Amino acid sequence: MSVDTEPAATPALSVERLKAYYRTSHFGVSREVRAVDDVSFAIGKDEIYGLAGESSSGKTTLIKAIAGLVRPPLRIEDGSIRFAFLPGRRGLHLASPSEVQRVRWRHLSYIMQGSMSVLNPLRRVRDMFVDFAFDHMGLGRGAFARVVEAHLARVRLEPSVLKAYPHELSGGMRQRVTIALATICKPDFIIADEPTTALDVIVQKDVLDMLREIQREISSSMLFVTHDMGVHAHLTDRLGIMYAGRLVEDGRTVDIFARPRHPYTRHLVASLPRIGEDRIRQGLEGNPPNLADPPSGCRFHPRCALAMDICRREVPPMTQQNGHRVACFATGATGEQPQ
Amino acid sequence: MSTALLELTHVSKAYGRSGLFARRRVPAVRDVSFRIDAEPASIFTIIGESGSGKSTLARMILNITQPTSGTVRFRRRDLSTLRGHGARLDFMREVQPIFQNPFEAFNPLKRLDHYLFSTALRLAAAAGREDVERRADEALRSVGLSLAEVKGRFPHELSGGQLQRAAIARALLSKPSLIVADEPVSMVDASLRMSIVNVFRHLRDDLSISIIYITHDLATAYTISDRLIIMQRGEVVEGGEARAVLDHPRHPYSQRLKAAVLAPQTDADPSQPPCTTEPVR
Repeated sequence: MSVDTEPAATPALSVERLKAYYRTSHFGVSREVRAVDDVSFAIGKDEIYGLAGESSSGKTTLIKAIAGLVRPPLRIEDGSIRFAFLPGRRGLHLASPSEVQRVRWRHLSYIMQGSMSVLNPLRRVRDMFVDFAFDHMGLGRGAFARVVEAHLARVRLEPSVLKAYPHELSGGMRQRVTIALATICKPDFIIADEPTTALDVIVQKDVLDMLREIQREISSSMLFVTHDMGVHAHLTDRLGIMYAGRLVEDGRTVDIFARPRHPYTRHLVASLPRIGEDRIRQGLEGNPPNLADPPSGCRFHPRCALAMDICRREVPPMTQQNGHRVACFATGATGEQPQ
Repeated sequence: MSTALLELTHVSKAYGRSGLFARRRVPAVRDVSFRIDAEPASIFTIIGESGSGKSTLARMILNITQPTSGTVRFRRRDLSTLRGHGARLDFMREVQPIFQNPFEAFNPLKRLDHYLFSTALRLAAAAGREDVERRADEALRSVGLSLAEVKGRFPHELSGGQLQRAAIARALLSKPSLIVADEPVSMVDASLRMSIVNVFRHLRDDLSISIIYITHDLATAYTISDRLIIMQRGEVVEGGEARAVLDHPRHPYSQRLKAAVLAPQTDADPSQPPCTTEPVR
């Protein structure tokens, strides 16, 4: 069930004015990398929210901050990250170890790129289910085993997989095990970071469709991060676009693809190659900025064909129209699109 | 009919697998034949997922490994007859590789400009500082970079997309007639892929370099390929003129590959099978 308008009820996740910087200091030289610089967005219950952007966009740092994986040199400088299941806290990094223990896998789970980083190579699959889920589910051993088998069948894996070590399974099977582990406790929120990037195309579509089926069934919300716009088009309900540490646009996925408003989004949408289309697609000129020394004002202005004087001096505010937000002086205010 | 630049005739590659009780041969590539003309330059695409044999095929074309049966001919010369340092070097100048991981193509401890210069000296018979720098700059401009941009830089200072373009520039230094690119964009951010794919188009159209483009991504294949073959488990299941095959694939595997291409659901794209929001079972 997708959300029609901006989430009116308490959102599953609300990120407000988040700033997460890396601060390093060597030999008297301090550097501050503003990896996430004043980002705000909300994800509703039952919703798949996609986050798109290039490698240096700050989306990985954003995921770490949301997941509470904040250790020096990374610091949350400002802002808040509120989960509906943990109302008292402004971020998981501020929660006590026992709260984190209670929350992890039961309310919040992760599906990461390169499933091997979640799957313990020295543990058989069945032991990992015990490690991750047994304490949360409050079932006897026999009942637990039956639930695990049923859940594996849900991701179309045979019970024989339980005896295997991760390296004995194919990439696609490992990712399905990872999905099963992340969803068996029916968490409120799932964070997925490039979960299908390393997979073959046919396996990728299979895994994505499966992920959506399960998400709909257990009614959890999902934050799905990938640089692949095709995946966003296929899977997400709403989509946010990150550039150089800032959120430049967000809205319903169909709107983003049909009427992209930010020049960077327009480039992302236009450069998605499609079968059946003859048009030669252009790459974007220039390079993503150095986050230790980002451009003034709008960080996209050096590469933007529509850049005006104000773009160099001031950071464009987010403007909103029908649930579609964009931060751009040129295309933002009225939603008109100058040619 | 033009002379053949590259011709594969019934090429197979089987790896021996011996155990205590059985000696089995695992066929990685089975009976592949195709031909690329010397003129006009073209982009020949090999489409396949992992296990399809496409990388093994690439290695045989690059003469890194030899077929167990069949022949690979470059300009009518059977690669298995190439003997001696000189003949191999000549071949390497003509046929250059691009690999999937741009970071593996470069020594992380070497500055990019220096690396390009030493390649120019070795493979391009460049002489003297000026000539070396000129060739390096020329190669870099062909891929949309410049010597000023990479001067003094190490590989880690560039993005994946820029580094892959630098790898293509390096491949251009010897003025090859054929570039074999194995999954050149799969490790590059999706938004930067088209700029690299467009470089290949430029190499074909403006520099008359033929390209063998190996990928599992049908969408980029559609934009630049002239002809293609689709491989599954070592065998060619379908092949022909690129647009014809991709617009109307006939083999069930080809159809599944096409159905797996992800696109916005609002698209009224007649060549795509209808995409619904219902999960596929």
